[in-house]
Amino acid sequence: MTASTIRPAVADGRLPGRVWMYSNYHCNLACTYCLTESGPKAQRRELDPEAMIDIARQALELGFTDLGVTGGEIFLLSRMPEVLAELARSLPVVALTNGTLFSRRLLDEVQQLAELPVALQISLDRPDPDTNDAMRGPDNFAKVVAAIPRLVERGVTVRIATTVESIEDAELDRLCELHRGLGVPDADHVIRPIIARGRAVDHDLGVQADVPDLPAELTITADGAFWSPFGPTVHGGRLDTDLLITRTTRPLSVPAQALLGLVEQRPAGADSTLNIR
Amino acid sequence: MLLAASEAPLLARPHYAGGDPGPIVAALAQVPELLVVATPFLGAALGPSAIDWRTKEIVIVRTSALAGCRYCVQSHTVVALDAGLTKAEVSVLRGEAAAENCFSAPRERVLLHWIDAVAGGAGPIDATVRAALRRHWVDHEVVELTAVIGVTLMLNRFATALELPVATQTLDRLAAEGLA
Ligand code: SF4
Repeated sequence: MTASTIRPAVADGRLPGRVWMYSNYHCNLACTYCLTESGPKAQRRELDPEAMIDIARQALELGFTDLGVTGGEIFLLSRMPEVLAELARSLPVVALTNGTLFSRRLLDEVQQLAELPVALQISLDRPDPDTNDAMRGPDNFAKVVAAIPRLVERGVTVRIATTVESIEDAELDRLCELHRGLGVPDADHVIRPIIARGRAVDHDLGVQADVPDLPAELTITADGAFWSPFGPTVHGGRLDTDLLITRTTRPLSVPAQALLGLVEQRPAGADSTLNIR
Repeated sequence: MLLAASEAPLLARPHYAGGDPGPIVAALAQVPELLVVATPFLGAALGPSAIDWRTKEIVIVRTSALAGCRYCVQSHTVVALDAGLTKAEVSVLRGEAAAENCFSAPRERVLLHWIDAVAGGAGPIDATVRAALRRHWVDHEVVELTAVIGVTLMLNRFATALELPVATQTLDRLAAEGLA
């Protein structure tokens, strides 16, 4: 019943095809614009790996086409390389990482992803260490530019995500030169705005975003299902519930159906306006 | 525990459109998929229906008093007065006076016995109490009245366990009526 409603909705573009999962909320960094107030001491709010794999299978059955995994820093979870490999057996995966934890051992572990439809999306905001690290923390730039070519040479697909309030053309040109030099083509570079949620609010950063601004991408967390991966944010240590859809996450048909219902209540033309994919 | 309008999940937002939705909705909003099915159900069970308003409030206030639910007793004391019950009748329902003093209609007397047996007791209901009720109320009424008792008990325990706050206007009205 639900597959028969979700699949055509995804196929004709009424519902985005990607299902996101927040694997965890803790992080080795504590960026000033972090949506989830992530940091080393953040509450972990982990999704169990078996639950993630089950959600991926259900997403496939329902007619979704892609998966996204984000956090927190996903590679703080030791099983993440094998989990990503397992998820990719259901659907193509984009996995967001800060790119700072790629030790030789982790590089060896993610090598298995080279053969699979998995892209690692690594954050790199500026072409210079000082401006990049001002928001993301010391040595972030150096670690990221060291990790990317090592991943690329192992055959792992790498995308680069640049999250900025604004960027001058000349600086952006240098950033693009940098990522090309690291082995990442223009097609795999995304630029997105800072959203005024989470820690960004405290630093007076970012643009306001509500339902009309955010793609209706079903996002599963340990706390429930949300409208878009920009939904399950944390502010003042409290999970934001304004973009919560349901607390029930499995069967996935429950939040998927609720999301579709909400999408279909939207007035015509009220689609996402921010480039934040 | 109670979600403010700025925290209202997507499925709960319509409930906040007219202002403060009250603590039951603001608590259930934590689980939006429950809220969206609970509110029509609660509305059907406790709102206007084939059972008249006065009778419903008799059931709700009496059941809530038996369950010791301060939130529901106080909230529905006001509603019961609005439904036309006298202060004396409400005092009886709240367990503060004997029923004989003011509920003289046999239909209401048997109903009170039924509520006391269902909400105040445990295990099977005495057959004579049920038989008395069925002499005065037809089957669908018996079913609905009993459902209202059950729904009220659920809300009683919900409101009591979560310590839902009674609205300030309600407390003011109760004080003004001498029923605080
Ligand atoms: S923005 Fe990403 S890398 Fe930075 S603290 Fe948040 S989760 Fe960690």
